[in-house]
Amino acid sequence: MSPMTALPVLSETASAVAPAQAGGVYSLLWLVVALPAVSAAILLLGGRSTNAWGHLLGCAAPIASFALGVLMFVSLLTRDAHDRAIEQHLFDWITTGSYDVDAGLLLDPLSMLFVLLITGVGSIIHVYSIGYMAEDPRRRRFFGQLNLFVAAMLLLVLGSDYLVLFVGWEGVGLASYLLIGFWQHKHSAATAAKKAFVVNRVGDMGMALAVMLMFATFGTTSFVGVSAAAEGASTATLTALGLLLLLGACGKSAQVPLQSWLLDAMEGPTPVSALIHAATMVTAGVYLVTRSNFIFNEAPTAQTAVVIVGLVTALWGAIIGCAKDDIKKALAGSTMSQIGYMHLAAGLGPIGYAFAIFHLLTHGFFKANLFLGAGSVMHSMNDEVDMRRYGGLAPLMPITFLTFAMGYLAIIGFPLFSGFWSKDLILEAAFAENLVVGFGALLGAGITAFYMTRVMLMTFLSPKRWADDVHPHESPRVMTVPLLVLAALSAVGGVLYLGGWVVDWLTPVVGEEHPELGVPVWVISLAAVAVVAAGVAVAWVLVAKRDVPREAPVRVSVFTTAARADLFGDALNEAVFMRPGQHLTRSLVYVDNRGVDGTVNGLGGLIGGASGRLRRLQTGFVRSYALTMVAGAFVVVVALLAANLS
Amino acid sequence: MSTEPFLVLSALLFTIGAFGVLIRRNAIVVFMCVELMLNAANLAFVTFARHHGNLDGQIAAFFVMVVAAAEVVVGLAIIVTIFRTRRSASVDDASLLKY
Amino acid sequence: MIAVHGSVLAQEIEIESPNIAYSAIYPILIVFGVALVGVLVEAFAPRPRRYVVQTVLAAAGLGLAFVGTVLVAGDLPETQNGLARGGIEAEGALAVDGPTLFIWGAILLLSFFSVLLFAERRLESGVTAFAGQAAALPGTEAEREASTRGLEHTEVFPLMLFAVGGMMLFPASNDLLTMFVALEVLSFPLYLLCGLARRRRLLSQEAAVKYFLLGAFASGFFLYGIALVYGYAGTVTLAGIDGAITNRVGGDGLLLAGIGLMAVGLLFKIGAAPFHAWTPDVYQGAPTAVTGFMAACTKVAAFGALLRVFYVAFGGAQWNWMPMMWIVAALTMGVGCVLTLTQTDVKRMLAYSSIAHAGFLLTGFVGVQAATRDSDDMTSLVAVMFYLLAYGFTTLGAFAVVTVVRDSSGEATHLSRWAGLGKQSPVLAGVFALFMLAFLGLPATSGFMAKWAVFTSAWAGDAQLLVIIAVLASVITAFVYIRVIVLMFFADPVGEGPTVAMPSVLTVVTIAAGVVVTVALGVAPQPVLDLAHQAGEFVR
Repeated sequence: MSPMTALPVLSETASAVAPAQAGGVYSLLWLVVALPAVSAAILLLGGRSTNAWGHLLGCAAPIASFALGVLMFVSLLTRDAHDRAIEQHLFDWITTGSYDVDAGLLLDPLSMLFVLLITGVGSIIHVYSIGYMAEDPRRRRFFGQLNLFVAAMLLLVLGSDYLVLFVGWEGVGLASYLLIGFWQHKHSAATAAKKAFVVNRVGDMGMALAVMLMFATFGTTSFVGVSAAAEGASTATLTALGLLLLLGACGKSAQVPLQSWLLDAMEGPTPVSALIHAATMVTAGVYLVTRSNFIFNEAPTAQTAVVIVGLVTALWGAIIGCAKDDIKKALAGSTMSQIGYMHLAAGLGPIGYAFAIFHLLTHGFFKANLFLGAGSVMHSMNDEVDMRRYGGLAPLMPITFLTFAMGYLAIIGFPLFSGFWSKDLILEAAFAENLVVGFGALLGAGITAFYMTRVMLMTFLSPKRWADDVHPHESPRVMTVPLLVLAALSAVGGVLYLGGWVVDWLTPVVGEEHPELGVPVWVISLAAVAVVAAGVAVAWVLVAKRDVPREAPVRVSVFTTAARADLFGDALNEAVFMRPGQHLTRSLVYVDNRGVDGTVNGLGGLIGGASGRLRRLQTGFVRSYALTMVAGAFVVVVALLAANLS
Repeated sequence: MSTEPFLVLSALLFTIGAFGVLIRRNAIVVFMCVELMLNAANLAFVTFARHHGNLDGQIAAFFVMVVAAAEVVVGLAIIVTIFRTRRSASVDDASLLKY
Repeated sequence: MIAVHGSVLAQEIEIESPNIAYSAIYPILIVFGVALVGVLVEAFAPRPRRYVVQTVLAAAGLGLAFVGTVLVAGDLPETQNGLARGGIEAEGALAVDGPTLFIWGAILLLSFFSVLLFAERRLESGVTAFAGQAAALPGTEAEREASTRGLEHTEVFPLMLFAVGGMMLFPASNDLLTMFVALEVLSFPLYLLCGLARRRRLLSQEAAVKYFLLGAFASGFFLYGIALVYGYAGTVTLAGIDGAITNRVGGDGLLLAGIGLMAVGLLFKIGAAPFHAWTPDVYQGAPTAVTGFMAACTKVAAFGALLRVFYVAFGGAQWNWMPMMWIVAALTMGVGCVLTLTQTDVKRMLAYSSIAHAGFLLTGFVGVQAATRDSDDMTSLVAVMFYLLAYGFTTLGAFAVVTVVRDSSGEATHLSRWAGLGKQSPVLAGVFALFMLAFLGLPATSGFMAKWAVFTSAWAGDAQLLVIIAVLASVITAFVYIRVIVLMFFADPVGEGPTVAMPSVLTVVTIAAGVVVTVALGVAPQPVLDLAHQAGEFVR
């Protein structure tokens, strides 16, 4: 136990026990990351000779990692609760005097759960992809990139140092860029990939500055070192750190205001969406906030910011989800929203960290389930994504329908399904913290129920609206078996909370604090169920009771318009940053008509405009260059003299 | 003897040289203006050497002269080549590389 | 420098022979010696043999000099304060210390690979990329004849060696006069090399004229700055100037104006704004092998000299020049990043990118973090030297890639011609993408470690605001590099599309060296960081 006192009796703080050195089964920890990484290298560099067995190797690697993860998990279970942190030192990465960075891995209860989720759900998605990508000539490369993605994500959660984490962090960004743009022949895919990368860079900037600030103030960037140093640091430093880390988290987790890339990222193949949304990438932000609990606990302002970002995103994503006709985009909106819930919980402090992770796990199950289900539907509908062209698929695709239904019940929080338990806990914590936050979260739950019911009805239950040349059929076994596994997990994922297990498990890392509510817990559960029921009912009235037009109606309320346009997220970017940039450029003959870059969005327009104008200064005349030099020399000398002789 | 007038003259020469580079079009004249700047520096060196009473500055002036002579060799080679190619010694004509 | 003791009219004038420790400075002498032999080869060897002789001579000379540098580094004496290693040699003209030797090593390695690029013959079907006969006018009978006879200028090798010698002298100079001579020795051959392209000779000649006139102009400022500093301190040795500043002998105006004008000359060579205007034009017009050589080696040498002058001679006036350098660094990053965005020529884009990188390097230079006795944190010197080495190899590799993407008129440098390169030649496009990611600073590439080193040392050196600007700027440049990658992999080729010519082993080795160093310094930077660290501070 830490020596910290003066905390409520009910709370328990994270222990600062130094992690044990890896031995026994843990000495294989590096293999967990190395296996998919090596497999990725083989598949990406191996060329065509690996085409025949590439997908098998691609699946074997994460499965082997998963097996190792399970071994370690079982072994961890047998250890004492406060002795579950294992560190493996790989090599000295940077050593300069007092500043050392070990390339090291840290396995503790928190990263253990992530390893299991990433490799477990990741493996299922890999297997599913064998079927989904069967027709694609570049399937081997796809598997190589999937492996790279998994390896980077594993490095992210296993790194024992913020700098190692950062390597994984950037690796995830790179791999997602490759995967979102996998169908590179589609212009929209390339644009979406670039957008994802650039938006993520903004988040990465926050991350990089945070790491640098840690280095400058604490002289170390390892988790152990920073958590020890954070206790004595000033609130201002910690708040700055917290806000910078939050910026990083916003980028990776697609939280407002850096949410815009996620919807576009649907351009990637569906298994990629499942991987990004369920097991990797977007969960990185939640991991970062939870992992940095020692910083956020001491910086209430930063925590409040996390809660606000989480709540806003939870509602923002849900509203967008209501208006999308593209099944994948509707699901993407729901991911934003659910990740928002996790951030909300994580921002509440020790009271919510464990709940955030619990929700992250159950979300991993049901979101993977939903995405793969959607992929199965698209697969049989000739890659049609518009739900207005679906309908009546339930009898034709029974397995997909039933498994999708499990995911649906889980996400809306139908009693006893996994999402019910995890969302309920977050609601409890939210109400314990602040009534506004609590009601906001409750409202989000209602909206979630509405749009998910809408998806369900439009896809599977309402009358058929597809053209005659489409022949929906059940997907092959290699795709349905993963669906069945995930459906089972979505249904019974709540067992993780049996006897409060997941909370106890995480306590050594994140601490514990029980919510104190003014009302009995069942009141909130009941309220949640009631709100969900209301959402379902509204959807039933609005969708099932009417005919769904094949074309999206044009004359809709202003709210629908707003939601369809992603709540004007891009338009806002455009109005604030791009228009002035365009005005700047209009007077210039800057037309990038070479296909180099058609879309300069956001700030890019402004900078591009400035760039277009500035480059005109490079006139090609020697004498004008000499003039700039003389002017520069004049300024330099005058500045020197003025600054020092005044 | 006060060294100040020589420094003023040196600064004047340097300024004339710098402005010459800016306003003259003929590459040879531009180049001569640069040489004027170097010689302004030489004058400053010699003046300061006198002021400080050591020979460092005077020696520097000799070195600069040799360097300037070498510069003439390189510079004329380049300028003459482009003059032959373009039939013009105007520095403004050579402006294909821009933006 | 010679000091005058007593009367010149003394009865017996004893002339002492200068005390020159050849054992410490022989790497420079090797380079200059081989260059001179190269001139003799031009005079006496028969034409058909010259190419092979010159190539082997240049490569062997640089290799030998590198070995010599390593040997010299092996037995550097420690100085009294224990922070620096090395000593002042050649009657006070040269400082052969740890940083000098590290920079020598970097320059020699980079120029060794540049020689390989210079010697590439397969891309132009049997001749080098340099003009067959520079004196023959473009488009005339004489030029056609030179090309049918397969003439080539093998003088480029000795010219390049002279430049390398100047580059080694530049950061090692211990007095300002030597530094000026070194600056000119490194510049003159470069002016000539820029104008020697075989194709697009008008552009090449224009680049030479621009580089020459502006370079001479800048060295005029540099020299006048030296004169003013001499006027202030009464000496041109770095230690003497430092002493004068420490004692504040008065006449601050002279000193500050001198610092300012010298800064102009040095910042010009580095390519920092607002003295950067030559960079894009010259980089675009010069033969690509020369551009790669300049981008990699000149930057190393010029930064070495900048660090030495400002840390050793003007270290005492640090607070006077710091604000000015802050502004220059911020401006350089801004100009570099913003202007990279709209470039459509790959060589120009790399040129602006080099300006941006000069800004990042200046950030490390401004956040002065000196070594102290009881801590061995990352110093500015270590960070900047590491960055220079990492950037040098990446940029040399990138320009080497540019030489092999060709169409019927030679190198296809317009970015639109690079569309769809990933389908044409995935390996080459992948390599170029790696270099782009290194420029961008992606972890596990050398660019990340380099930026990391520079930014952390600058942050610790109280230049936090500049670091934030630098991080912002690198976000902006991400746009550019990603655009290139998108273009290569996700865009469809325009028209015929580029062809990737199969180069000889020389270019392949250079590109491979770029890849290896870029990856190795990203994954395991420790040995090189240690090496830079062992180099210690400048001797004074």
